[in-house]
Amino acid sequence: MAEKKISKKTLAKSFRNWYYGHLTCFSQEHMQTFGYLCSMLPIIRELYDTPEEQQEALQTYTAFFNTEPQLGTVIVGVTAGLEEAKANGEAIDGEMINGIRAGLMGPVAGIGDSLVVGTLIPILLGIALGLSGGGSPLGAIFYIVVWNLVVTLGMRFLYYKGYELGGKAVEIIVGEKANAIREAVVMLGTIVIGAVAASWINITTSFKMLNADGGTIIDLQSTLDGICPKLLSAATVILCWWLMSKKKISPTIVMLILVVIAFVGVLLGFFDPGLSY
Amino acid sequence: MEISLLQAIIFGLFACLSSMPGMGGTTIGNYTLGRPLVAGLVVGLIMGDVKTGIIIGAAIQVVYIALVTPGGTVSADVRAISYIGIPLAMVAIKGLGLDPASTEGTGMAVALGSAVGTLGTVLFYGTATINLVWQHIGWRAVEKGKFDQLYAVDMVLPWISHFICSFLPTVIITMMGSDMVDIIKNYLPMDGIAMKTLFTVGSLLPAVGVGILLKQVASKPTDLLTFFFGFVLAALMGVNLIGAAVIGGFFAVILYNIRMLQYKTAHVSASDGTVYDDDDEEDI
Repeated sequence: MAEKKISKKTLAKSFRNWYYGHLTCFSQEHMQTFGYLCSMLPIIRELYDTPEEQQEALQTYTAFFNTEPQLGTVIVGVTAGLEEAKANGEAIDGEMINGIRAGLMGPVAGIGDSLVVGTLIPILLGIALGLSGGGSPLGAIFYIVVWNLVVTLGMRFLYYKGYELGGKAVEIIVGEKANAIREAVVMLGTIVIGAVAASWINITTSFKMLNADGGTIIDLQSTLDGICPKLLSAATVILCWWLMSKKKISPTIVMLILVVIAFVGVLLGFFDPGLSY
Repeated sequence: MEISLLQAIIFGLFACLSSMPGMGGTTIGNYTLGRPLVAGLVVGLIMGDVKTGIIIGAAIQVVYIALVTPGGTVSADVRAISYIGIPLAMVAIKGLGLDPASTEGTGMAVALGSAVGTLGTVLFYGTATINLVWQHIGWRAVEKGKFDQLYAVDMVLPWISHFICSFLPTVIITMMGSDMVDIIKNYLPMDGIAMKTLFTVGSLLPAVGVGILLKQVASKPTDLLTFFFGFVLAALMGVNLIGAAVIGGFFAVILYNIRMLQYKTAHVSASDGTVYDDDDEEDI
């Protein structure tokens, strides 16, 4: 029996189906399952001849699947490689493929969320915001081009690398080198976010203490600026972090708490935008 | 400023493409068109005022700079923020005669955008629920061996969910935008408590977005030092964001080298003086 090999065209189609369709048919019950099925279908059709074999192979991928879709491309690539090995009669069965898939989707989601959504996007958006001063479209264009380029090439790389290495690809994403890179990138992201906070959050107080003649004794804002510019902005960020991280309060509730703070602050004269029609 | 039917329909289409789970795929849809900064450009182009669109989009973007959706739970809906919130904010700011670049203008935009975004999570759960129907069709197709139907289930039928949960709400709500601004003008004076609170909330909300991000990278107070390093760079030393990215990159390289050295020494002590090459470690 000649060794079966997935053609380039089929691999490209499988990648395309994942790249576009991984989350289009999302439900709380089966999040990325159908995206995964559509991605594996061309491969299964090429590797297995009879409808019965195809159906049996496809059955492997009907199990629940959900991960971070960009980094998760590597898992799709890995299973493509494993499926090819299975079709060639190696000692791999559907259950084993599913075990690898289920075992990887959790860690990859965690790494992907912190690396892609928590670091790469904020860095790119941070730089883009810096380019948007005065309403310039440059920042938005920068983000559109750089994000799509980096992520499309990155996903393509992960898919083919995963296919090539099969099960060994696991080491690339959970190895020591990857760990060091992740820590370094997260650090870069945190520094940029600090700069974003200082540049884009603008919380000021209008609180003033006046003497009998209407002269100012204490102008709280200029006092605070003397200590450290943007002190109130930093304090509010830390308050939000503390509420969410230490008190485990959800972001929506934190927003409501800020509404209350704003309301009380306005009543006390601490906040006053000072505006009229 | 009025939003025409045609403009509302274009917003509706972008809402279908940009949501999570959207018809543009996550890379182009959710993570590109769904970002408020990009939406600011799109909405600005459609409304004929790119400058205002970008200013509003950028202000709202800070709140949602790290919108993570762990395990498919969402705290805010990007299609609502971007293609309902931004058009409404534009209409409101123009209608109330505010300067978009002022603190009040961005405060108004942020407060409105965030309110719409939080309410919009309804649309997310609506879309996901209707998709259950298509998935049911998909399971029957797998059973009967009609595999081609899977493509329709994954990529075509969800458009119906989006017509109901993205397109229609966007068109209807944005069309009503200018009426809403008149109501605000008549019933809520600018120097009243309600509007003052609204603007203040708008200035406070970006702190939540940054807080969400910090929560992921900082678990103890000393972890916040890295954040304050970046904060001080911009607030006290006047470094802009590109400058901060370069300085951050420099420190990231140093950290990477330190970590790699640590791993190496760990291996040396663990294996009695035998030094492994990096590439070999990867193959273990």
